[in-house]
Amino acid sequence: MRNKITLTFAACWFLAISFYPLEPAWSAKKPARKSAQTKMDPKQRAFFENKIRPVLVKKCYSCHSSKSEELGGKLRMDTRDGMRVGGESGPAFVEGRPNESLLIQALRYDDLEMPPDEPLPEAVITDFVTWVKMGVPDPRMDHPLIAIKPTEEGATSKPELWSFQPVRNPELPAVQDQSWSYDPLDRFILSRIEAAELAPTHDASPARLVRRLYHDLIGLPPTAEQVEAFLSDYQRRQQQAVTHLVDELLASPHFGERWGRHWLDVARYGESNGNDGLGRNPTFPHAWRYRDYVIQALNNDVPYDRFLTEQIAGDLLAADAPEERDRLLVATGFLAIGSKPAKAMNVNFDMDVVNDQINVVSTTVMGLSVACARCHDHKHDPIPTADYYAMAGIFLSTETMWGYAANQPLTAPETPLHILKSKHHYVPSLDSGAKPNVDKHTLSRKKKPKNIYPAGTPLAMGVREKKKLVDCKINIKGESKKLGPSVPRGFLSACNISQTPKIDAKQSGRLQLAQWLISADHPQTSRVMVNRIWMHLFGQALVRTPDDFGVYGERPTHPELLDHLATHFRTEGWSMKQLIRKIVLSHTYQLSSFCDELILDADPENKLLCRHNRRRLDAESLRDSILAANGQLNREPGLGSSIANVDEMVNKAGNLHLPHQHRSIYLCLLRHSEPPELSAFDLPDSTKPVGKRNETTLPTQSLFLINSDFLVEQSQLFAKDILSNPKLDDTGRVHLVYRRALNRAPESSELERALALIQDVDNALKTEISQDEIRRITVWATLCQALLNTNEFRYVD
Amino acid sequence: MLGMSRREMLKSASCGFGYLAMSALCGKNTLAGGSSAIHDLNARSPQLPARAKRVIFLCMSGGPAQLDTFDFKPQTGKKKHAGSAFKFAQHGESGLWISELLPETAKHADKLCVLNGMHADITNHAQSFLQLHTGDRLRPRPSLGSWVLYGLGTENQNVPGFISLYPSKPSVYSSALLPPVYEGTPIGLNTTNMSTATINNVKSDHIPAAVKRRQLDFVQAMNREHAIRRPDDVRLDAVIQSMELGFRMQMAAPELLDLNQETKSTLERYRVGQGKTVGTCKNSDFGRQCLLARRFAEAGVRFIEVNHGSWDQHSNHRADLTANCESTDAPIAALLEDLEQRGLLDETLVVWGGEFGRPGLVPEAKKDGTGHNARGFTFWMAGGGIKRGLAYGKTDPTGARAIEGKVHFRDLHATILHQLGLQHDKLTFHQGEREFRLTGTEGGKVVHDIIA
Repeated sequence: MRNKITLTFAACWFLAISFYPLEPAWSAKKPARKSAQTKMDPKQRAFFENKIRPVLVKKCYSCHSSKSEELGGKLRMDTRDGMRVGGESGPAFVEGRPNESLLIQALRYDDLEMPPDEPLPEAVITDFVTWVKMGVPDPRMDHPLIAIKPTEEGATSKPELWSFQPVRNPELPAVQDQSWSYDPLDRFILSRIEAAELAPTHDASPARLVRRLYHDLIGLPPTAEQVEAFLSDYQRRQQQAVTHLVDELLASPHFGERWGRHWLDVARYGESNGNDGLGRNPTFPHAWRYRDYVIQALNNDVPYDRFLTEQIAGDLLAADAPEERDRLLVATGFLAIGSKPAKAMNVNFDMDVVNDQINVVSTTVMGLSVACARCHDHKHDPIPTADYYAMAGIFLSTETMWGYAANQPLTAPETPLHILKSKHHYVPSLDSGAKPNVDKHTLSRKKKPKNIYPAGTPLAMGVREKKKLVDCKINIKGESKKLGPSVPRGFLSACNISQTPKIDAKQSGRLQLAQWLISADHPQTSRVMVNRIWMHLFGQALVRTPDDFGVYGERPTHPELLDHLATHFRTEGWSMKQLIRKIVLSHTYQLSSFCDELILDADPENKLLCRHNRRRLDAESLRDSILAANGQLNREPGLGSSIANVDEMVNKAGNLHLPHQHRSIYLCLLRHSEPPELSAFDLPDSTKPVGKRNETTLPTQSLFLINSDFLVEQSQLFAKDILSNPKLDDTGRVHLVYRRALNRAPESSELERALALIQDVDNALKTEISQDEIRRITVWATLCQALLNTNEFRYVD
Repeated sequence: MLGMSRREMLKSASCGFGYLAMSALCGKNTLAGGSSAIHDLNARSPQLPARAKRVIFLCMSGGPAQLDTFDFKPQTGKKKHAGSAFKFAQHGESGLWISELLPETAKHADKLCVLNGMHADITNHAQSFLQLHTGDRLRPRPSLGSWVLYGLGTENQNVPGFISLYPSKPSVYSSALLPPVYEGTPIGLNTTNMSTATINNVKSDHIPAAVKRRQLDFVQAMNREHAIRRPDDVRLDAVIQSMELGFRMQMAAPELLDLNQETKSTLERYRVGQGKTVGTCKNSDFGRQCLLARRFAEAGVRFIEVNHGSWDQHSNHRADLTANCESTDAPIAALLEDLEQRGLLDETLVVWGGEFGRPGLVPEAKKDGTGHNARGFTFWMAGGGIKRGLAYGKTDPTGARAIEGKVHFRDLHATILHQLGLQHDKLTFHQGEREFRLTGTEGGKVVHDIIA
């Protein structure tokens, strides 16, 4: 065995020599590693830099580093953890014991012979022996974040990745037009516009502004009456009217339904597991409680720091009443609703669950994809594998409760659920909701669940502490069967947090993780969230990759503005409503989406925000707007879910969707089996956080608008409603349809066109539908559907 | 991004090469990742010269028994061993060995390139089926057809670019992490009656077609007036066009699905409506599927998957296998014949196979059930620039293990993409800081030996 390894090493060495001269070896910049390790002794550091690193670089890296043509013995010596984990023959050293260390044996040409061409001078070997005796102090991070040339004097440092730098509170920039700003944030926008020798476009008309505000803040169009009320108020008191309307909308219970949906996108919310890879898709009958928690939290303006803490560690927070206790338990559903790959033949299943949790926390809260580091050091961002497993230990010490999983042990083993104790929970009665059409074969295979709850017990998905708390061992290449050294539970080492919370042996560390995320000096948490909020109000974020603040994510278009908002957000008590209020009351937000050619040509992508961005209604807003226009919308919250009593496999159960007239957020969001009323319009892939939805334009969407049951039925109901007023003539009816769908009166040419459509369709259907009453409905439904299908209805200026 | 405006990007995308696929194929790091680039189905030219324009994948789920179809294993000595339990004969000028169960397909022996050295990793249906379709055996990933659509777009915008007939699982047509525009369109999902299966929302009788047209004219007039006042917003024009596409699809797709125009003899050759359920062999109306596949190929659909199963004969191997062969033999022969006759076979890559194969029976033994075998099994390809009348690769004398000309699913994928002019290692999608590709981190090898 040994001989074979030596041969491999030698071959590599030869390869490397033959390609000589190699690129200069690069070394890693010193990382900030306060959390997981103690700070390095400066003397030891000097020893490493002067005696050890140069030798490693010169003599070892050509075969044993990321730059190697072929990695000798699968051993990496260019990273600290690489040596610690070791290669094919095992770890390179045993800390403090040179005689037992492979590295020293190899240098001494004792069985192993390294470097293969000739042994190093005795003095150098002695240095290495000393180094191992010291306990192998090594400042190198796992992955060279920003490669810098090793110099004798020490490295010249390049700036770190922007998103890891502390959030600053920048001074307000100087602007020429002092009077333009409504809010300090406007000055950040205006100064850039002025620097580009442009000027902002005109203000949005009050009629357009009111529609924009309704859609952005509550996700519903205003009624014609609401538009008129605002317009007259605006005429009277301009900005005060805007402020008044904004405050009214922020206080509306529909606010949480709109903004809660935004959060559910990044919380990868779904009411079933989703395809587990093997075609199985068990329902999550209790996931809707988490949905309701989110809506309620947004409506109550739970501060964002608290909101995060509740979702990550609600079960560990104090509660003074059973209602509050239950609310906090439901919040932890955030960590339990993930989509899992099948358990069958999957030794990594437990770590897959952990991976989803790391992914949702890191992507959603920090805008970083820590999950890459599961198998290898992050390729670009300063996230070593050790950090991943530090976080993994936290979740490995956490029990994730997803429930019965439709009794599909091949998908996921059954777990208990949280039992909610307070008296006021809605529990859907057993005969409500969808009736799955499951074949007898499937039913007969059902085993009794281990956890049996009496009917009517309110249950919730969520997490709690495991009895046995563990640190996680590095899974080499992400394989749970190949284990490396254990990593103490902790957080990302590259974030400079002044007071890193300590995780003691008696806790999983979730609470500390939440505390760490919301620390005043956490570089990402506040930035990521203000960026998301900005995006929902402008259609484009300041960092246009809202889920990626890493090296390959985009840079902020307005870095100072981002920091200004982040600082404001945090110092004003993390209030999401207040931040939204600040933004929508700015002059920038209230600009028109129309502008002249000059602006278009100078800034086609609208990075300077000289104008507002026109936006398409998303799937939920489109459906809600249709139901609002035709008067069918039930503005009360939808209770529970159509699958609240269905613990089955979606793929076997038949149709589980039940149409209702509540807002779209209350439709049953089964993964990979989305509600047909929504599925045509780019719903997020609910298996991972999605900060920014796709916006595709597809013929299948046109088919949905032209032919779907939903559009046809709602248009019929719209028509019936229009026809129900016997006092109206055709002209009056056309006016009413326009008013309801588009909040405006038809122009005279439009009126003619609409009447012509009515006439033509009526003639065409005369033979088809002989009964006048039925034909009239169909004829008017044709006009109603047409207006609901227009771009004017589907886009907001 | 490259200093292009959205307008310019759309323009460049519509007159040739989709922006995103372009940057992915050029190996550039798209800054914004996949999701913010523009995705469309416009046809784009491949990076390499293409030998095939489209793919018809005849997916035989359950694990077809290679030793009783295309991998002839006669007895070799005194001691009886596992091998072919049905008679084989050589066919065509190429002399390919084909089982007596496939007399019609055998007539097209000289069109086939039989891959006897296929191998895969797992002998579980679900995982191996997933790997066959997506390259991954654990997580939902984009299916082969979605990758192809992503790379090439499609030629006929009036019909979907990727159609999956009678799919058994979403993994067959799922675009997974690719944008939904590349998702396959299932026809006959969860239904047993293929004769009425259709595309979602493509049909509705609530008003006659002429009234729908009149209604759409009204919508489009409003849309145009709306768009003229907003000349900077190209999306609004895209919607106007897309409404027309949808409207045409409404006409074109049902027409393609309507077999009334086909002659009686054609319907008979394809055995349309003659499927039966025998044991594991389900009535998939495979003849209709094959005929539809031909019609879709003629209409320029980029990727067509045709499904039949199950070939999983754990018991009643002989009877159920016979039924599976009977159900598929004539329809496949008719498909090959028609494609050739129409000059389409050269540009259409036809691929036949399942998630793995099966060990052989000992011919004279009573045992009449077979398990799974992923270490050696058979696929075949025809057309699309693949050599004709070739048996490539070999299993050992009992057919248990591929020993020569080994082709893994990854290699199969790389080869299919190659024939379409796509490089498997360059067709990548950037998401969450990772570059995803069909052939995964291990990559595949194009099987150059079988390329004509």
